[in-house]
Amino acid sequence: MIRAEEPLIRVEGLHYTYQAGTPKPIPALRGIDLTVQAGEYVAVIGANGSGKSTLLRHFNALLLPTAGNVWVTKWNTRDTVHLRDIRSTVTMVFQVPDDQIVASVVEEDVAFGPENLGVPEDELHQRVDWALAAVGLTELRHRASRLLSSGQKQRLAIAAALAMQPRCLVLDEATAMLDPAGQTQVRKILHQLHQDGMTIISATHNMAEAVQAQRVVVLSEGRIAIQGDPRFVFAQEETLHALQLDVPYPTRMARMLATVIRDFPTDVLTVTELAEAISMHLGQPLELRPKPTTGVR
Amino acid sequence: MSTTTRKIVIAGVMGAISIFLGASHLGFIPWLAGAALTIMHVPVIIGAVLEGPVVGLAIGLIFGAFSLLQAAIAPTGPADVWFTNPLVSIVPRLFIGPMAWLAYKALKTTNEALSLAISGVVGSLTNTILVLGVLGLYRFLPWALIGTIAVTNGLPEAVVAAIITLAVVAAWKRLESGRRSSTI
Amino acid sequence: MSRRTEFEFLGRVTIGQYLPTGSALHRLDPRTKLLVCLLLIAVVVASQSLLGIMLLLGAVLIGLALARIPLSFALSGLRAMLPYLLLLALLQTFAIPQYAANATVLWRWAMLTITDRSILAGILLIARFSVMVLGLSLFSFSTTTTELTHGIEHLLRPWQKLGLPAHELALTVNIALRFVPIIAEEAERLMKAQASRGADFGQGRNFIQRTRKLLPLLVPLFLVSLHRADNLIEAMEARCYLGGKGRTHLIHLQAHAADYLALAAAFALMALVIGLSTANADQLLWRLLSTYL
Ligand SMILES: Nc1ncnc2c1ncn2[C@@H]1O[C@H](COP(=O)(O)OP(=O)(O)OP(=O)(O)O)[C@@H](O)[C@H]1O
Ligand SMILES: [Mg+2]
Repeated sequence: MIRAEEPLIRVEGLHYTYQAGTPKPIPALRGIDLTVQAGEYVAVIGANGSGKSTLLRHFNALLLPTAGNVWVTKWNTRDTVHLRDIRSTVTMVFQVPDDQIVASVVEEDVAFGPENLGVPEDELHQRVDWALAAVGLTELRHRASRLLSSGQKQRLAIAAALAMQPRCLVLDEATAMLDPAGQTQVRKILHQLHQDGMTIISATHNMAEAVQAQRVVVLSEGRIAIQGDPRFVFAQEETLHALQLDVPYPTRMARMLATVIRDFPTDVLTVTELAEAISMHLGQPLELRPKPTTGVR
Repeated sequence: MSTTTRKIVIAGVMGAISIFLGASHLGFIPWLAGAALTIMHVPVIIGAVLEGPVVGLAIGLIFGAFSLLQAAIAPTGPADVWFTNPLVSIVPRLFIGPMAWLAYKALKTTNEALSLAISGVVGSLTNTILVLGVLGLYRFLPWALIGTIAVTNGLPEAVVAAIITLAVVAAWKRLESGRRSSTI
Repeated sequence: MSRRTEFEFLGRVTIGQYLPTGSALHRLDPRTKLLVCLLLIAVVVASQSLLGIMLLLGAVLIGLALARIPLSFALSGLRAMLPYLLLLALLQTFAIPQYAANATVLWRWAMLTITDRSILAGILLIARFSVMVLGLSLFSFSTTTTELTHGIEHLLRPWQKLGLPAHELALTVNIALRFVPIIAEEAERLMKAQASRGADFGQGRNFIQRTRKLLPLLVPLFLVSLHRADNLIEAMEARCYLGGKGRTHLIHLQAHAADYLALAAAFALMALVIGLSTANADQLLWRLLSTYL
């Protein structure tokens, strides 16, 4: 993993206004400063309309700032000469699975991005193989894309983004339309990609997903309200509630328990941590055994 | 924002609506004596008004090719016998979009709503006149009958196309101007 | 049929009807099938010779046999159309004045005239339609939608070099075919939602009323589709789509000996049919028959 000296993404004084110059401008971003280092995993949370999607679209020049600047490595996103470089360095996965699939066959859709980049053909095949394997769709590569489930379609979208061989994957509520199993699968894939060195920026309403990040950025009305590691951010339940956001379910449980159990820790984030805290309280060591699948007890 | 991408996608999606209206038979409004008014050409008009004549041409091609295919592999009525001929099913349809766009462009500055309705009428009549014209030239039908069909089917079809074009495009532009800086 | 099942049918709207028999004909390069099909359409339309059309009919029947498509299956479309066909053929033969100068009048009553040419026109109408129905059915029985898009894309590829927007057209067709089921689903969703609120689509005393009743379905259907088009545009731009220039390709179709053979046979047959038509072979045959009978 090459560590670049400059941050992968640098946002300075970013303002964005929809319908700028009309009688009814809509300021969506109002002064954002943010840097994302290579290899980071950042979750962006915020109420509806807080500006998550708008911010994310600046990371690969789908939107250009009304004021301020965005750099992707050394390229300013305003610099259209580097559009291809920017968009193949930072790729995006969107919310609606069906609306981002271009080709009618799985492997061809994965190839669409690199084909646009003019990647030579032998490399094209390698990239497609690799991207499909990364999301576990190798078996379905010749399937018609419309016959996939929503979860599979979203994995396809991730594979299609990966085939561009980006340094950073940006996801805009990519799990919002999936069933729980689909969400878990996508979450695992993101976790694995991050382990392998990919930078990940994910906007989400799903707090279980945000917990997985190294840093959580909370947006409110076009500004960053809080940011920090998940434990720091989710400790501020009252502030988050004021911003119409929830803390993760295990954190909420722990806080409820803390009202009846003295000294019960409230900084838990995951189900495992909650279980550990409970077993500590009961004074019994926790052994996480695989669930018995058969047998009578 | 690349305009080619937009043109390609809008043409594809409007082509899909046209195919859907035909394949599902939703695109046929029951009319006199078992005959039906069709609205399969309305996506052609809407695409042309939104994205220009070339897009209209492409949607017309998709519409035409699909009506030829459907006439041959799933024929349902006497008209399908004629529609297996590409000079009836495809060629006239290529002109719907460009004609509708011309009408829209010519009148847009005077009154947007009016220009949308007129472009619906012009696009629809282009379809009726050219299709029936080819049928007449081929002597598939006597001219007298063709004239009757042009009036009893062509005129109501034009009215229907005008209503739908106006309703859809006005609603879309209102939506767009609510989200983007477009002026209507 | 209850309304519910009617809506559910919408979700399964299909184009064509693939019938996987695994025959050699199915395995042909989609370009071959597409080219032969286009050629067939052009020749059926251009040829004035009944003899030629009958040859084509024979060829298409052989094609159906090679593709191992049950004949009853292929003929079902034609059978349903038979009454209309006869009606139209009669219309051609009787009611439509035949302007051909050298036509022989066989029968005349009031405004109705039958000439040898008009009989021929009636028979030609039936023969042409039969070839088209069987030929295009054969094509759709033996070609998947994916093969169809591949075929179109590959046939168009060379034209790109001549500066034509060939890649753009292929992509447009591809997106159209991909969106048909999406739009069908969307329509089904809208209809169900509105039927539960008591909407009755396309009912009404006159066509304006019927159209207005359709608007609550059609307008949202168009708007949702345009919105999804916007999403797709954004997704394509995010994946560096900047037109057809400089693109490479994952898929390359391979033509085999069978394809060249099929193409050669098809071209030969079509040339023969056009030849028969220009040489007025039918007239010769007609004269031969009328002198000997
Ligand atoms: N295309 C657009 N045109 C005009 N205004 C827009 C557009 N897209 C978003 N907005 C407005 O900009 C603000 C920020 O929207 P954005 O979509 O970035 O929020 P979000 O945090 O992604 O919300 P959500 O959770 O609903 O996805 C909102 O007030 C929204 O109404
Ligand atoms: Mg959003």
